[in-house]
Amino acid sequence: MAKKEEKVLGMDREKFRMFMGKYGIGVILLIMMVFISIMEPAFRSGSNMVNVATQVSINAMIAYGMCLAITTEGIDLSVGAQLALVSCILGQLISNKGWGIIPAIVVAILVSTAWGTINGFLISKFNMFPFVVTLSTQLIIRGLAQVVSGGQAIPITDATFKQIYSAKLGPIPFPILVLILATILMYLVLHWTKFGRYVFAVGDNMQAAIASGVSIIKTKTATYAISGFLAGVAGVIFTAKTASAQSNIGVGYETDAVAACVLGGTSFAGGVTTVPGVLMGIFIIGFIYNGMNLIGIDSYYQSMTKGAVIIGAVLLDMVMNKKNS
Amino acid sequence: MKRKILSVLLCAVMVVSMAVGCSSGNDGGSEEKQEDTASDEGESSDDSAKGGDVNGDGKIVVGYISKNIVDPFHAPINDYAKETLDGLVSDGTIDDWTGILDGETDANKQSDRADECIAKNCDYVIILPAEATASDAAVTKMADAGIQVIVVNSATDSTADVAMAYCGPNDVEAGEMLAQWVIDSVPDGGKYAHCQGVIGNSAQIQRGEGIENLMKDNDKFESVGDYPCEWQADKAANVATDMMNKYGDELVAIICDNDDMSSAAQKACNDAGRKDIVCVGVDGNQNPLQMVKDGDLGATVLQDGPGQVGAAIDLIKKALNGESTDKEVMVPFVLVTKDNVDEYLK
Repeated sequence: MAKKEEKVLGMDREKFRMFMGKYGIGVILLIMMVFISIMEPAFRSGSNMVNVATQVSINAMIAYGMCLAITTEGIDLSVGAQLALVSCILGQLISNKGWGIIPAIVVAILVSTAWGTINGFLISKFNMFPFVVTLSTQLIIRGLAQVVSGGQAIPITDATFKQIYSAKLGPIPFPILVLILATILMYLVLHWTKFGRYVFAVGDNMQAAIASGVSIIKTKTATYAISGFLAGVAGVIFTAKTASAQSNIGVGYETDAVAACVLGGTSFAGGVTTVPGVLMGIFIIGFIYNGMNLIGIDSYYQSMTKGAVIIGAVLLDMVMNKKNS
Repeated sequence: MKRKILSVLLCAVMVVSMAVGCSSGNDGGSEEKQEDTASDEGESSDDSAKGGDVNGDGKIVVGYISKNIVDPFHAPINDYAKETLDGLVSDGTIDDWTGILDGETDANKQSDRADECIAKNCDYVIILPAEATASDAAVTKMADAGIQVIVVNSATDSTADVAMAYCGPNDVEAGEMLAQWVIDSVPDGGKYAHCQGVIGNSAQIQRGEGIENLMKDNDKFESVGDYPCEWQADKAANVATDMMNKYGDELVAIICDNDDMSSAAQKACNDAGRKDIVCVGVDGNQNPLQMVKDGDLGATVLQDGPGQVGAAIDLIKKALNGESTDKEVMVPFVLVTKDNVDEYLK
């Protein structure tokens, strides 16, 4: 009984630390927004804010999956290829086979979820390194996308499908609604369910988690399955945005997702992440892109600036956390 | 438990306030816009001298969305655009331009850059699409926002319908020039390999089509296969060594979708003592041109990238002067051999 109490207390302290983590990155986000607004007033406009929120919805889906994987001391490098596969499946089914939009989307997301499940199973059952597994499945998935599309770009002319990206509920475009829904669901799953606690437990101390009866196979497989599912959702939004299905999309998209997770306080040592933190990380990445272009920073220096801002933000966050703990 | 409920509530409040903030901000934005246009109407008598101000805000702003900023082919195009547009700003022809926006060879990123051009109230936007189909969203989005879009280098699907103009090459013609050069250089024919660019890219598709147009009716030549090399020189060099191993003297030519690849393939052949193999590609980058000058490479098909973007900027200048503009400007390819390489080598 005493042991249990200690654990609760430990969790509470951890929670406090996490809260400070969230708070710190929020301050950085605010500083950034104020800074860009002063440099370029067009940044403040409501339509620009809606634009950024719509744009980041794709990276957000990927980042939420990624933060789960990283929290279990893993990584999911297959997400970029998953976007391509989902896109090609949608193109084939809707444009060439004449399927309805909803069944096509369901099939596409099922396939990406299945690949996520395969990733998770390989990682947990055979205890393989997540980096190696997803690096390899990424190649297989992109290859599959090339097979499905025949290497060609398939235009998707269906107007309703394109609406997935542009349709609005009042002033809010549909991708933002998906983002809000995903954020709430992720929060509930990660911070409120047994599964969420297992994810933290597995990442924090796998041996202890096994000893307390957590099924590593089930937890990790589900983690990567969710990552695959979210990559599928991102793929649908992506395809609707460009109205084109092709196998060469999404190269390097895992980078921005990992960056968002790290900014949001997700620890590569495992066991630490928060959904609001990752959400803020996602917006920081979005504002970096948007802000630099609006201010008119020379594109040759943008990549450097992005790297420097990420390191600076994480450093600042760590310094602030140290002071508070 | 209380703490949990509290934190969920906080989270919900955050999300909702974000949404509300966005929506109310949006309303504010549109109101501001209305005010802007109203005040513009008041001043319009002063500004009417300035022709070609598309959105009527009294300022001429030009946007420039690059395909990317890393390819050797795109670097001189971007440099030329930067130099010319900076010049137009300093001589007062235009008020401002966005700087080179990086499209990262990604239609999704280009669509985001288009949003930024709209946010900056651009009148004209020059875009070099990453993809024929996927980048079309960026073009139509800007056209819908009332921007005069000039598509450069490769057309998107609805360029003819919504864009102000298209300035670019005919890539099928480039493919035909590649095949013709091989047919002329190797009268006896033989086996040839084809190194492709990134599969699905319109330049790759159309150049391949051009090569096929000439080669399919030519029974002297036989293709040993199309190899996806993603525009990458090292991959084409690997194909060259593999094919030399496999087919030996029967291999007479390697046709590449760009000349980064053809120069690397030719170098691999030359290093292996097979200078007789004819490698040729499209673009006219500095390295292949130098090889042509040194006699290491027979020819390269030059695509006049700066000429294409120059044509686009000329159209903007014309429109600002109130002149009528062409809907399509085709900038021709040039076959560069030892005879004319000095004209193009910097």
